[in-house]
Amino acid sequence: MSSDAALDPALLKEAADWAMTLRYDRPDACQQRAFERWRQQSNAHEAAWQRAESVFHVFEQVPEPIGKTAIAKLGTGHDRRRMLKLLSLALVAAPVGGLVWHRLPWQSWAADAYTAAGELRTLDLPDGSRLVLNTDSAVNIAFTAQARRIRLVKGEILITTHPDPAPVARPFFVDTAYGVVRALGTRFSVRQLDRQQCHVAVFERAVEIRPLSGAGRTLSAGEQANFDVSGVDAPSPVDDSAAFWERGMLLAKDMRLEEVVAELARYRHGVLRCDPAVANLRVSGAISLADIDAGLALLEKNLPVRIRRLTPYWISVGPGG
Amino acid sequence: MPAGGITKRDMHALYSDHHGWLRGWLGVKLGNASDAADLAHDTFLRLMTSRGLPAQLGDEPRALLTHIAKGLVVDHWRRESVERAYLEALAQQPDVETPSPETRLLIIDALTRIDAMLATMGARTREIFLLAQLDGLTLKQIAERTGAPVITVRRHIKKALVACMAIE
Repeated sequence: MSSDAALDPALLKEAADWAMTLRYDRPDACQQRAFERWRQQSNAHEAAWQRAESVFHVFEQVPEPIGKTAIAKLGTGHDRRRMLKLLSLALVAAPVGGLVWHRLPWQSWAADAYTAAGELRTLDLPDGSRLVLNTDSAVNIAFTAQARRIRLVKGEILITTHPDPAPVARPFFVDTAYGVVRALGTRFSVRQLDRQQCHVAVFERAVEIRPLSGAGRTLSAGEQANFDVSGVDAPSPVDDSAAFWERGMLLAKDMRLEEVVAELARYRHGVLRCDPAVANLRVSGAISLADIDAGLALLEKNLPVRIRRLTPYWISVGPGG
Repeated sequence: MPAGGITKRDMHALYSDHHGWLRGWLGVKLGNASDAADLAHDTFLRLMTSRGLPAQLGDEPRALLTHIAKGLVVDHWRRESVERAYLEALAQQPDVETPSPETRLLIIDALTRIDAMLATMGARTREIFLLAQLDGLTLKQIAERTGAPVITVRRHIKKALVACMAIE
């Protein structure tokens, strides 16, 4: 199967075109003959067609309805790159055992502390600081004689620092893939976003953001900003309700429905999407993050939308009626 | 069968100099000595049978070995997570007859290939492709469900198909 790995990409595209025609266009006898002629042109044509068939075949090997459910749980392409990156980190703790990692994606196995989708976890750190992990998050914790460091592997954390009890006060850092966030006696959250960015919100005192290769910036209480490897965006205002997830609640104030749905999607497994037709509806109110299905029912009750469940793992929020 | 410029003797020396170290490195990453031994073995096997490798290993054979081993570790993790997804799905359907171990292995193989195929797609392409492939919806039905025009749906499915075909 791998011996003909170097098939001509142009032929693969032609084969895919034929597969689309045969499958979706109700081809007549004339098209059928044209297809057979195409296929018999050379061994390479036949091999390209075999590839297309083998794609359909591999899906047929997985029985319903198990296959559908299992496939909905598989990760995305980002995983591979991130896994390779994780393997390159020096401080990766090896997993010890099996059962504990049930339901947890790979990034979490190697981390010091983690949560699954829909879980929150509070940790009291050795220096008296408090760390809360939001849904589907993971951190490594490294407290040494020189510094208190939290490495954000994925997801979102809320930190309330405590004055260091050590004889010589150590600085408190949150390391991210795109830069370092230094706490200046404070309460703040750091979130890894999808698009190669992190988000920082400061609720007390201040933090200093130092991107890996750009100018730093200090954020004060009531400010939030995104940053990436090369710099920090201009800050915008934020209030305490942005950290209400700590109490299992999403407080929406005139939020776009699409954003609300994206937030809720973080707290459950599977696909939860918002139809563009209703993306701009405005939502205000408190939604429980502990019961997403109840939250969706609430949206359905208060907005002109309908929740469509293709499977328990495929839910879409679309126009009602 | 010496591959590229690496001779059998080179390979022997490489194995005796670095195999123990590689097994240790994998042990730390995997937290499991028997998986580490398997993957260390596979790493050398991959090195021997690989055609696209440099003629000489250079001064840093360990860099090349870890490069290959990392790829294998990621494959190993992916397979484990595919297996877990499958077992969870099985657990959710108590009325489905539990398949034999051989059948399970075949299904997990197939799912691992599907996982590799899906991994190359963008989120939108993947979603549309799965609606076609798993739910058996027509282009029109997918268009209605996703709000995308039929021609766009078709383009996504073809793109997904080509991506899948390139994986094999």
